[in-house]
Amino acid sequence: MLDSFLFILIIGPFIAAVLCYIVRIPHIRSLIVLATGCLLAVTSVLLFINGSFSHTPPPLLGVPPRWWVLWADDILLLTMLYYAFKRRHLFSKILIIFQFVCLDYFELFMVDHDKVFPPFVADNLSLVMVLVISIVGSLICVFAIPYMNKHEAHQKLEKSRQPVFFAFLIVIMGAMNGLVLSNNIIFMYMFFEVTTLGSFMLISHDQTETAIRNSVRALWMNCLAGAAFIVAMIWAYVTQNTVEAQKLIAAGHMGGIMLMPLALLCFAGMVKAAQFPFQSWLLGAMVAPTPTSALLHSSTMVKAGVYIALRFAPGFAGTFLSQCLTACGAFTFLAASAMAVSQSNGKKILAYSTIGNLGLIFVCAGINTPEAITAAILLIIFHAFSKALLFLSVGGMEQHIGSLDIEVMRGLYARMPRTAIIAVLGIITMMLPPFGVLLSKWIAIEAASRHLFVIVPLAVGSALMVVYWSRWAGVLLSAPYEPHVAPEQQGVLTRLPLLALAGGAVLLSLCAPFLYAELVVPMLPAPPFTIRAGIFENPEGTFALYPITLVLALGFVCAVFAAGKARKARFEGPYLSGAQTADPETFEGPMGKPVAVTSGIYYFESIFGEEKLTVWANICGGMLMALLIGGAVR
Amino acid sequence: MRAVVLVIMGVVVAPLLGGLIAGVDRRLTAWFQSRYGPPVWQPFFDVAKLFGKERLLVNTWQVVCAYIYVTAAMLSVVLFFLQSDLLLILFVQAVGAIFLVMGAFSATSPFSQVGANRELIQILTYEPLIILVFVGIYLATGSFKISEIYSQTEPLLKSLPLLYIVLGYALTIKLRKSPFDFSTSHHAHQELVKGFLTEYSGPYLALVEIGHWYEVVLILGLCSLFWATSWVGIIVLVGITYLCEILIDNVMARMTWRWMLGSVWAMGLSMSFVNLIWLHGR
Repeated sequence: MLDSFLFILIIGPFIAAVLCYIVRIPHIRSLIVLATGCLLAVTSVLLFINGSFSHTPPPLLGVPPRWWVLWADDILLLTMLYYAFKRRHLFSKILIIFQFVCLDYFELFMVDHDKVFPPFVADNLSLVMVLVISIVGSLICVFAIPYMNKHEAHQKLEKSRQPVFFAFLIVIMGAMNGLVLSNNIIFMYMFFEVTTLGSFMLISHDQTETAIRNSVRALWMNCLAGAAFIVAMIWAYVTQNTVEAQKLIAAGHMGGIMLMPLALLCFAGMVKAAQFPFQSWLLGAMVAPTPTSALLHSSTMVKAGVYIALRFAPGFAGTFLSQCLTACGAFTFLAASAMAVSQSNGKKILAYSTIGNLGLIFVCAGINTPEAITAAILLIIFHAFSKALLFLSVGGMEQHIGSLDIEVMRGLYARMPRTAIIAVLGIITMMLPPFGVLLSKWIAIEAASRHLFVIVPLAVGSALMVVYWSRWAGVLLSAPYEPHVAPEQQGVLTRLPLLALAGGAVLLSLCAPFLYAELVVPMLPAPPFTIRAGIFENPEGTFALYPITLVLALGFVCAVFAAGKARKARFEGPYLSGAQTADPETFEGPMGKPVAVTSGIYYFESIFGEEKLTVWANICGGMLMALLIGGAVR
Repeated sequence: MRAVVLVIMGVVVAPLLGGLIAGVDRRLTAWFQSRYGPPVWQPFFDVAKLFGKERLLVNTWQVVCAYIYVTAAMLSVVLFFLQSDLLLILFVQAVGAIFLVMGAFSATSPFSQVGANRELIQILTYEPLIILVFVGIYLATGSFKISEIYSQTEPLLKSLPLLYIVLGYALTIKLRKSPFDFSTSHHAHQELVKGFLTEYSGPYLALVEIGHWYEVVLILGLCSLFWATSWVGIIVLVGITYLCEILIDNVMARMTWRWMLGSVWAMGLSMSFVNLIWLHGR
């Protein structure tokens, strides 16, 4: 059974991708995407039910997997090299050639392939990741089917580029599944590189000048991560004589020079997760069609970065490296939240929010107590659902109103009621109790309270997050009263993923005690909380999840009921100093001429402006990363 | 049984107390300004009158937001009386505060919009400070639970003097007293009319007012934690603190939000940091 599960989850998407590429009939391609999505989602659940395992797969077509991996690596690096030459980017060329030489020398002349150990090992962390990747990722792929049709209709292309798009969209899911299940870090590296190539291709998909420029940036930054990964691999092999992840984690405790590979792996993870000063590749990724952003930001790609840090976290618990990781994460959390406040572009706000939340996960990985790891894992799950939901609704809005500016989204409820409500719901699940993201943040803050240099950035960053989320939600609703808002037309393939993600974001929060008990506790040496009647409790704090959910839900029901009754009330235009006209959106100006009412959001550009902060934030982020790598050598 | 009594106290007694405090506040302010002032019960009359007003709305979102605000404010006070987790109380309180802002944003009136933006700046200014105060309490008592504070033998004020001042800053902002009454103020004759509350009216404004009473009680409750070892201490500390608030409200002119964000963060964050280092060093 395990063989077929792994085959479906890892190789399956690759086969589906090839089919998507070859079969040029739109309907059949849609069917393939749908079928792959369903298959992946179901298999991921089955794999989870099957439980933890370590597994050695049989030879594929008579060739041992390690040869497949080596070939795949070579093809990947050569493809990337081709693009580096095509885009004439020197730094990428150097990095890729470096990786190519190192990898082949390492594989062919250094590694002793007679050593037998299972290349695939799954504990709960891996299985949770597989669930998130396969379920959220598949929903995004389904959403992409109608989205891309509209997108291309808008672009007026002569020849559809959808086959390539869907091929890479699906490949990324397979690669992510492979990455999180690998125990052999050579396998892990290969899948890591697939995500790099995949994101490069997806970012450059629209082939505009910006798209190409941004994709090259993503390429070199992720290649830097790949190069760090490969050095880590060789270093680990030279010092530990193993490429087995589990052994490396165990060896970390010896400290000293043994920590260096782990530090480099963390560095690779942080670049992949777009931590400062490498945030620009993820910000640039927003030029791609929205499903790409949704996939990269929520369930895949950046989550590969935090996964690596969490995977190897037990190896560096209690070391200086761990503290550095916390510092880097906390700094990114603060800087990204601050910059998000100055943004008016919806996708950019989402991007900075992703970077900030990933920073928080690194903080948790660095604090490295059972409590912090709980926060990290819960945050991965909840963030994936809410962020995917928000990206997809923003994509829908963009196609409808032709803009990503949140000022243009003012009063969107009157035009797109369904999407607006879903977006507001997504925003609320990102920042308020009783929803899961806030629960995770509560755990994170309690876990970080003894670290003075972490708690201050966390406190300030959280408040900044509240600012940029709540004003966005408010603005979406900002419209004069209309008794009958016209219902919004949505295709079933658009509505279904949105509803599933919205349902997931809300219901999973309710299941948090269950998720904690079933998914998180088995991974930890000691459970950090006891749960009674839906109340998370330990000597340091208590989070009465079910009681507050119940009361707030009751309040919400009353509110909705009262709002329904209030429809009978008298409605008036807003107060305009007594100079209002019959039209609620104008007032009587000079010479009795109507003047339109305008108001805008405060963006605080003089304080949090991107141009103002980016240079300094990059310098600080760079120094902290240098500290991380240098500190490990002590 | 005790829990039920505490919940009833939180739900029923707290707003009555909050209304009374608002009345006393007005009376004292009048006295400072050599006026006679309204009777102490005036806030209750005001709210009763508001409930009797015609329902006049700009949209239905404000109804939703007013209800959720009052629910969250009530819940946070109940959690306080049940001696729950400080951070949880802050987050639940934030639900109300944020829904109130969202309601203000949903109205297209520029007064309401500017007020909502300013209210967000107020939240941005006080929230980190309150979190840091709670972290200080955690470092002093080893827990975020209020029940743990009541088991202390020495008043927290002794180990957290600077954080108490920081809390004072945060509370002045939270209560929207001068010099921090940018988003709305008690007097509707300023440049923003009634700021972000401009479009809340009639029974819904009454709900917002009741929610505010809950918040006043919560805030004074937080102050009381700093001398939780004796009843006299609680009454003296809370009394003096609130008198200071009223005094500051009356003697200070309103400043700009830039000044607030800059000065309060500079003072507040550095004082919290110093106090946290003291605790850490112990």
